[in-house]
Amino acid sequence: MVTTPNQSNLGIRCDDPAVETQLAAWVAGGRLHPPRAVTLDVRVVERPALHSREGQLFEQPGVEIRSGGRQGGVQISWRQAPAVAELSLGSSCATVLLSPAAVARLEECQNTFLTTVLIFLLRRAGWHHVHAATAIDPRGRGWLLAGNARAGKSTTTAWLASRGWSVGTDDMAFLAPGQRVAVQAYRGPIALRPEGQALLQCTGGAFLERRGKMGFWPEELGARWAQRVEPDLILFPSIGGERTEVERLGAGDALTRLVRWSAWVLLEPELAQEHLDLLTRLAAQAPAYRVTLGSDLFAHPERLEAPLG
Amino acid sequence: MSARYRRGDSVRVAALENEGVLLHLGTRRYYTVSESALALLEYLAAPRTAQELEAFLLERYELTEEHAVTTVQTFLERCRKADVVFEEGA
Repeated sequence: MVTTPNQSNLGIRCDDPAVETQLAAWVAGGRLHPPRAVTLDVRVVERPALHSREGQLFEQPGVEIRSGGRQGGVQISWRQAPAVAELSLGSSCATVLLSPAAVARLEECQNTFLTTVLIFLLRRAGWHHVHAATAIDPRGRGWLLAGNARAGKSTTTAWLASRGWSVGTDDMAFLAPGQRVAVQAYRGPIALRPEGQALLQCTGGAFLERRGKMGFWPEELGARWAQRVEPDLILFPSIGGERTEVERLGAGDALTRLVRWSAWVLLEPELAQEHLDLLTRLAAQAPAYRVTLGSDLFAHPERLEAPLG
Repeated sequence: MSARYRRGDSVRVAALENEGVLLHLGTRRYYTVSESALALLEYLAAPRTAQELEAFLLERYELTEEHAVTTVQTFLERCRKADVVFEEGA
């Protein structure tokens, strides 16, 4: 077995050198530096199978997650080709079994199944996933935009990038403890639909098959990449009509919304309180706003910025 | 002998300003709860009778005994329905 040491504390171990090389490149590309060492221990086997299929089932597109069984931890399966992963309680290692069929679709496997495994592995290093975009404005304030895939996070992130802001991610972020709660960005291209591209007049980019969108690196849009953001403002965007509207939310409301966009807090009882405490500290740390993004925003950016102070 | 109630093991709570959030890891539901409900849920980490819960409310909040009784009754009914609180031995 070959071991790839990784400066980022995120190690890859695989019995297939070619798979290990590709996975190491994928992990390195995300530029994640967790505070504690965690390892993806990957083996290629003919018939990957879980030791047990206990606990409640939680379904994601293409991925099944089981949690709450007698032994604790999570078991994850990929639906597109045989591949399974087990993450035990208290372990800093994810055991991943890939079939040759899964290896044949390794890039797709990385983008769905292995990304899910990575999210649960990083929980064991104290980082908790949140569906959010991150940015730093010209005044140095950290922004967190939390919401689902249709909330306008990517278009807003690309727009902020095109205005010279630093941006971290448009989708995948991790809450990290510290004196203030920080958010670590998974480095990846900002994914734009054709409408977003047209609005921002972006050309070029690379097609992202999994997301069905065109991807642009922050630097291609004129931004610097911000690996870590300490949120000073939390936004919950949604796409609206013509006019951009901003409404201040109470901290309790913000916390409930953060729980929604950080849904793994509801899995793995042993880690849930730590995760919930981070969300609570974040909701107390930064004022939160519900933002309805209107088509006027590009001509009138002050309609977003002015109400936020 | 009075029934004793206890918060379920699947419940996690967090307090923020004058309210809080309750997660139920078993049903994967989450709720916004008032400050007083949150205080009762934290108190229910150990088994308590309805009378103990009423006394707890009377000590912390300005309310009449009658109001405390109905508040605890309603609280227990709702929490038991949502599997957040259980009666010991039931």
